[in-house]
Amino acid sequence: MPALELKEVYAGYGEFRVLHGVTIEVGKGEIVALVGPNGAGKTTTLRTIMGMTTLYSGDILLNGNSIRRLPTHKRVELGLTMVPEGRRLFNHLTVYENLVAGALTRKAKEKLSDSLEFVFTLFPRLKERRNQLAGTLSGGEAQMLAIGRALMSRPSILLLDEPSLGLAPKLVIAIFDTVRRLRDEAGVTMLLVEQHVKHSLEIADRGYVMELGKIVLRGEARSLLTDERLRRAYLII
Amino acid sequence: MIDPAYVTQILINGVLMGLLYSLVALGLALIFGVMDIINFAHGDFVMLGAYLTFLIATYFLIDPTVTIALTVPLFFLLGIAVYKAIIKPVLGAEPLIQIAVTVGLLMFLRNLALAIFHAEPRGVPYTVFSTPITIGPITIPLSRAAAGAVSLAVLYIVHLLLTRTRWGIAVRATADDREAAALMGINVERVYYTTFGLGTALTALAAALIMTFSRADPYLGLLYGLLSWVIVAMGGLGGVVGVLASGLILGIIESFGMSLISAGARELFLYVTFLVVLWVRPRGLFGRR
Ligand SMILES: Nc1ncnc2c1ncn2[C@@H]1O[C@H](COP(=O)(O)OP(=O)(O)OP(=O)(O)O)[C@@H](O)[C@H]1O
Ligand SMILES: [Mg+2]
Repeated sequence: MPALELKEVYAGYGEFRVLHGVTIEVGKGEIVALVGPNGAGKTTTLRTIMGMTTLYSGDILLNGNSIRRLPTHKRVELGLTMVPEGRRLFNHLTVYENLVAGALTRKAKEKLSDSLEFVFTLFPRLKERRNQLAGTLSGGEAQMLAIGRALMSRPSILLLDEPSLGLAPKLVIAIFDTVRRLRDEAGVTMLLVEQHVKHSLEIADRGYVMELGKIVLRGEARSLLTDERLRRAYLII
Repeated sequence: MIDPAYVTQILINGVLMGLLYSLVALGLALIFGVMDIINFAHGDFVMLGAYLTFLIATYFLIDPTVTIALTVPLFFLLGIAVYKAIIKPVLGAEPLIQIAVTVGLLMFLRNLALAIFHAEPRGVPYTVFSTPITIGPITIPLSRAAAGAVSLAVLYIVHLLLTRTRWGIAVRATADDREAAALMGINVERVYYTTFGLGTALTALAAALIMTFSRADPYLGLLYGLLSWVIVAMGGLGGVVGVLASGLILGIIESFGMSLISAGARELFLYVTFLVVLWVRPRGLFGRR
């Protein structure tokens, strides 16, 4: 049974329909990459999984159970979390308070000190800056905090929306390395939306290509990397 | 030359009133900061609290400050009920609709008070805070001193609540980014109704303090509503500290204005201060965006 499953999902914003029958499966312990051009509906897909869009039809299953009727915070309690596009940190809270804000669910509360240690080990920079306001962090530090904050809820599945957006090339590599390590060392299952198609498919197990709200190509990450259509559309740029 | 003792007296009066004004505005500042809604009925919650204090204190012949054991929890629940019944449905709506709804609530409360109590002010029969304290040439009514001290203590407690508790972190996170808060598993709906409940409960507390030296009348909401608005606009989104500083500034300016210029022009000093502040710092003294 997949950890996360989207079944024929039609969703959008009010009257504005964006997704037209999207089916995606994410297996336990996998990194699944979701790529596609701007405006394809990648962010909308992740927001739909979190319950932040209008779902017209189809279903979303978490470990086999439908979550389509649950409000966002209930989905988080069940083990889903998202690192949103543009980080969306709580800028007037300190680094430490941002992390605590990520661990307010009943389950996460009890593991607060463990989770803090985990995040500080993963990103030692955040520990140095723990009393600094999040709004004053550099781009790289802010992205570390966005990921760290999401990990504080102890997610079994993490949705990442363009975590490398706006970062310098060296930091892009570091973020991809972190994502890979989260799977390999901590067993976190991830659905990764990225502009860096090549990097993503290199660390992912499987991938989906989305265009105009539909999945147009799917397969093993390695075979997608060599797929002629995909190469022509993305990799050459 | 102005007598230094007189100036000190005016300053103390101003500081004590300023502290109380900060408490009156605190609930409004919280609600506005967290859910971006302008509650025009805020001052009329103070008025309602004043009448409730009057009724309970008169019926049981107790000090108005004792009534808070009843009025504060009651107002917390009232705030939640008002939130669920009329605020929640208009949260995402146009500002004009939000204004219409809270102005409607204001009209309802004010007319309710007029219908029941008519325009006649009602004072409590007795209060332990009636004697003044005299230090040399300076006289401080005990009620004002108590109101100032209690206000300061409550402001500090709310500050601690916001900065030191999980609830406070959830509230401030929601104020910063509602969607991101939901993504972190914060129950935004619960943050909203508890904030509205607390903001309303604080008006009952302020009302009890006001009743130790003043009387309830149906138009009390006019003054305290305006006052709260000026403080929130000046304090921007500067949290409890911004509210406190703005309240103190207003209290002091009002005290000097009433003593040195004209005692009858209370609202005028509020307006003028407000306009000057907005002219100098359009985002409020402690604005942060
Ligand atoms: N909040 C919204 N309300 C209405 N329409 C929206 C909203 N957010 C996105 N859209 C529309 O939905 C479509 C898909 O947008 P989405 O953000 O999901 O694309 P994306 O694949 O994430 O693109 P990008 O690579 O630029 O991030 C676009 O046409 C966009 O204009
Ligand atoms: Mg996007």
